[in-house]
Amino acid sequence: MVMCKEIVENIIGYIEAELDDKTLEELEKHLHDCPECQAFVRTYKKMLELTGKLKERTFVTPEIRKKLKELLISKIKYQEN
Amino acid sequence: MGRTKLKIEEGIKKPDKNNLPDEELVKLFIQDKNTEALTKLLNRYLDRIYRCALRITRNQSDAEEVVQEVFLTLVKKLDTFRGESKFSSWLYRITINASYMHIRAEKKHESELSLDNYAPYDERGTLMGKVASKDWSDKPEEVLLSKEAIDIIEKAIDELPEPYRIVFHLRDIEGLSNEEVAKVLELSVPAVKSRLHRARLFLRDKLSDYFFEWGKKW
Repeated sequence: MVMCKEIVENIIGYIEAELDDKTLEELEKHLHDCPECQAFVRTYKKMLELTGKLKERTFVTPEIRKKLKELLISKIKYQEN
Repeated sequence: MGRTKLKIEEGIKKPDKNNLPDEELVKLFIQDKNTEALTKLLNRYLDRIYRCALRITRNQSDAEEVVQEVFLTLVKKLDTFRGESKFSSWLYRITINASYMHIRAEKKHESELSLDNYAPYDERGTLMGKVASKDWSDKPEEVLLSKEAIDIIEKAIDELPEPYRIVFHLRDIEGLSNEEVAKVLELSVPAVKSRLHRARLFLRDKLSDYFFEWGKKW
């Protein structure tokens, strides 16, 4: 009998569609009847959607960018001399 | 003769450095000491380097210092880049090493908790009473992407023990493949997958707790 544990431990294979047909069928049967696992899969997917958006965050202000560029140029000049 | 040569050169369209692949920009810097090429390259990666340093140090001024160290290392060592791995992988490795050196120098390295056996289910293998009551997946987008929610997500990620946090960051935030993460961190692909799995389970639980508590305030 499939338990919630199987959903949890196969979650990556499940969302990336890497499971064999037999495993998938067993997991989906459990999922159909288990509100806890349904909520688990929903929140898991939502988490990935949200954390994927963190890539768009920038912490580098124009001041930091300018400072780093100046540092870089001075270092290159120093090396050339 | 000289004039003819000049005319021919004028007719050749110079390649736009913005579109050049990383490896070409590296070559331009090494061969011609082309500063513009290096600046372009670093502009392209600055946000990624900074986010990565911040993820490890968890402090903005430390992250800034790490980025400076990475820049200086690059000027010194770019000519040792052999192109055996992607430039981005090489740069991530330099950033991660510099970040670790930094937190060790600052004596901020704590003994880390292992999540290798972390699991949300009980000893019978069920999630009974643990997930559905804290389901936050139907919260509207504008709520989940509000500043407060993003701060909650960042806080939860920061609670991941370091070896899991960096795997999660590179894979799920920066979008590297398992193979690329393995190369950058010098781990096996199964080790990356295993850390990623435990990190996601831990984080999903943390987020549920935090969002549940936050929801009570509304």
